Amino acid sequence: MSSLSGRKKSIPQLAERTSGVANPSRRQLLTTGLAVGAGAAMAGLQARPAAAAGDPAITEVQDWNRYLGDGVDARPYGTPSQYEEHVVRRNVAWLTADPVSSVNFTPLHELDGIITPNGLCFERHHAGIADVDPAKHRLMIDGLVDTPLVFTMEDLKRFPRENKVYFLECAANSGMEWRGAQLNGCQFTHGMVHCVVYTGVKLRTILEEAGVKTSGKWLLAEGADASAMSRSIPMEKALDDCMVAFKMNGEALRPEQGYPLRLVVPGWEGNMWVKWLRRLEVGDKPWHHREETSKYTDLLANGKARRFTWVMDVKSVITNPSPQAPVTHGRGPLVISGLAWSGNGTVKRVDVSIDGGRNWKTARIDGPSLDKALHRFYLDIDWDGSELLLQSRAMDEHGYVQPTKNELRLARGENSIYHNNGIQTWYVKADGVVENVEVS
Amino acid sequence: MSKFLKVATAATLALLIPVASASAEGDAAKGEKVFRKCKACHAVGEGAKNKVGPHLNDIMGRTAGSAEGFKYSKAMVAAGEEGIVWDEESLAAYLEKPKDYIKGNRMSFAGLRKEDDRADVIAYLKTFSEGTESAAAAEPAAGPSQQAAAVSAPADTNMADAPRPTHGVFHLGRQATAEEIAAWDIDIRPDGTGLPKGKGTVTQGEEIFAEACAVCHGDFGEGRDRWPVLAGGQDTLKAERPVKTIGSYWPYLSTVYDYVRRAMPFGDARSLSDDDVYAVTAYLLYLNDVVSDEDFELSSENFTEIHLPNEGNFFMDDREEEAHYAKKDEPCMTDCKPGPAEITMRARVLDVTPEGGDDEQGGGAVD
Repeated sequence: MSSLSGRKKSIPQLAERTSGVANPSRRQLLTTGLAVGAGAAMAGLQARPAAAAGDPAITEVQDWNRYLGDGVDARPYGTPSQYEEHVVRRNVAWLTADPVSSVNFTPLHELDGIITPNGLCFERHHAGIADVDPAKHRLMIDGLVDTPLVFTMEDLKRFPRENKVYFLECAANSGMEWRGAQLNGCQFTHGMVHCVVYTGVKLRTILEEAGVKTSGKWLLAEGADASAMSRSIPMEKALDDCMVAFKMNGEALRPEQGYPLRLVVPGWEGNMWVKWLRRLEVGDKPWHHREETSKYTDLLANGKARRFTWVMDVKSVITNPSPQAPVTHGRGPLVISGLAWSGNGTVKRVDVSIDGGRNWKTARIDGPSLDKALHRFYLDIDWDGSELLLQSRAMDEHGYVQPTKNELRLARGENSIYHNNGIQTWYVKADGVVENVEVS
Repeated sequence: MSKFLKVATAATLALLIPVASASAEGDAAKGEKVFRKCKACHAVGEGAKNKVGPHLNDIMGRTAGSAEGFKYSKAMVAAGEEGIVWDEESLAAYLEKPKDYIKGNRMSFAGLRKEDDRADVIAYLKTFSEGTESAAAAEPAAGPSQQAAAVSAPADTNMADAPRPTHGVFHLGRQATAEEIAAWDIDIRPDGTGLPKGKGTVTQGEEIFAEACAVCHGDFGEGRDRWPVLAGGQDTLKAERPVKTIGSYWPYLSTVYDYVRRAMPFGDARSLSDDDVYAVTAYLLYLNDVVSDEDFELSSENFTEIHLPNEGNFFMDDREEEAHYAKKDEPCMTDCKPGPAEITMRARVLDVTPEGGDDEQGGGAVD
C-alpha cells in the first residue's frame, strides 16, 4: 500500500483525476461509516446516467489499468483493500473502565455469508491480550481423574481432530438495549457475535485420556492470562460437543481469541469459551467463581437472579440495511440481509417484517444451515421508497421463537444485562437513512 | 515469567548503580516502594510496555502525551502540544494533584500528598531515564530463537526409545507432578475446598487495600471512574439502577478470595500472599458491614462460617418457563397487531462514533 501511494504522489495529475470525480463521495461515506450524509452521497455509489462525455470511470484510463501493481513479496500476509479500511472492530469507550478489560464489536453490517474473518471477530478480554509463547504453553488436567496430565501443544496436535463451524456470542450482546434503543448500528447492538470454523480435539477425547472418575460432574476451565479466567462447566456438556481448538478459519487462533489454545463451548455464552486455556479441573460441584456469580448472572425485576444461564437463545438481526449501512439507492430492488442463530441447534426459519411486526414474510436462508452456527438470510424486495420498520424473527429447530424486547422486559425487567435476544427494529426513512427504534 | 519480575529485577540492578542526582532531592530506593501505588497501571524498567497507563522509561524530558503506541486522553495530548515536558518540576506538580494539573486527563489516581513521596518516586523514575544504554541492552531476544526452541524441545519427551506412558487411550501427555498441580490449582469453592492455610485482619487488609486496590476501587470500595464498586448497594437490587457489590449481590465469600488471589491487583496478579488475601477479604467484609470489628481476623479456620447476605437469592436458569418460550406456538404471520406500528423510542446515542471520544456519555455497561 505504501508503494502504491508513493507512486501516486509522483504522478499528481492522474492521482487528482482518480480521486476527483467518482470517488470522493464514496470515500467520504465509507470512511465515516455512518448514516450521516448518506442521501447526498448516494449518487456516487450508483452507475450514473451517461452524460454526454460518458462515465469517467470508463472513459478515462485508471491508474490500476495502466501501471503495475505490487509484486508477490509486497504482502506476504495479505490484508484487505485500502478501500475497505473502514471495516474494523470498534470500541465504545464509555462502556467499560479501561480498554484492557473491555470489548470491541464485529462490523456485521460490512460482512456477508456466515463466516467472520479472523481479524474482525469481536474481542472481549479481562486483562488484555495474553502474549503466550506456544512452546511454553501447557494444558493441565487435574482433579477427579485417574491420571492428572500435562500436555504440550505438540501433544495436543497428535489427537484425532475435527472441524466445526460455531457461532460465539457474548452473553452481554445487545445488553445496552435493555432499557430501550440506544446505539445506532448493528455493529454496536449485535456485534458481539462471530462465527468461524474451528479445528481442534474433542474435549471428551482429552478428558478420556486422563480418565474422569464417576464422581466428576463438573469441569473448571481456566485461562493463562492475567485474569486467570475461570468458569464451571457441567460434565454433560463437556462430554457432548465441546472442543479444545487451536485453529480458526484454518490458521492459528489469533492472540485476542486465545492463541494458542481455547475452549469451544458450542451454543453457550462466550465467556465460557476460555481463551489461552491452560487447565481443566474435574470436580463434583461447581466453583461459583466471579464470572458466574458477580457477572453472567441475570438479575430480575424481583431482585432475584438466575445463575448458570448458559445457552444463547434463538436470535436474529438485519445487518443491511441498518444505521451504519443506509440504503444508498432509490426505489426498486432492495436486498434485506441478516444473521440468525440459536444455541439450541439450527435455525429453521427467519421471518422479516417491513411494517414493524404487523405482517411477516419468510426470508430465504442461503448457505449452510449448521448446528449452533450463524445462518445468513435474505429477503429480496421491491422497495417503493416509503418508510420501513424492519424486523426479523428467528425460529430454531426446537420451535423456540425469538421474542420481542417487550416480552423479555415483561418477564425479566430491565436489569438483566445478559441474554437480550429480543427482536430488533430498524427505521428506514425515505432518504435511506436508518435509525435504531422501538415500536408499539 | 511476567514482565513484572523483569521490572523488579531491572529496578534492583538500577539501584546498585549510584545515581548522583537522585540523592539531592529524593531517595530512589524509597521511591521504588512508593511506585507500588503506580505499578498496577504503569511499567518501568527493562522491557516495560504500555499497560493501563503509558510505560515510564525515559519519562524525564518526554513531552506529555507522547509515549509511542499509547492512547491518551485528549487533555493529555493537548498538554503536550501546549509544551508540557516531564521534568522534576512538572512531574511533582502533576503527581500532587493529577486532575488539577491536567484537567480531563484519564489517570485515575488521586495523587501523592507527601512532598517526600513525590520526590522519591521521581528519583526512582529518573533511574530509568538517565542514559539509553541500559534500555538498548534490555531489548528482549527476538522471536525466531524461541521458535527454534519450540521445534526442538518436545523431542525429549517423545524419543523412540523412551518408555511409553500407560494412561488413557492415546498415551499422550505425561503425568502432572504434585508441585505442578499445586502451582496452578489455586481455586476455591464455597465449601472452602482449596483454601490455603492463613489469616489476616481488617486493619491489615485496610493497609494493603489502600496501597494496592484503592487506586481503582477507592479507599472505601466506592469505585473510582468506571472501576467496580465493591461495597454498599444493599437494598438496591430491585431499584432502577442496582448497585451490585460483594455485600449487596455476591453469593459467596469464597469467590472474593478466589478472584483476588487469581486476578488482583489488576495488572499485578498473584503478587499478594495468601495472608494478604485473607486480610483484604476481611477488609471487604468490613466495608460491606458483614463484620463490624476492626480487629476481626479472617482465617482458613473461620472462613466458611461467614455467609454473604444475598446467597439465597440465586436460582437455576428457568428461561424455558417464560411465557414467550413455553408456548412454542407457530408465530403469527399476518395482521399480528392492531393498527400501524408507532415509534415509541429512538436510539439515545445517535451517532456512536469511536473517534468522538466523548467519555462522558455513560448509560450502560458490558458486564
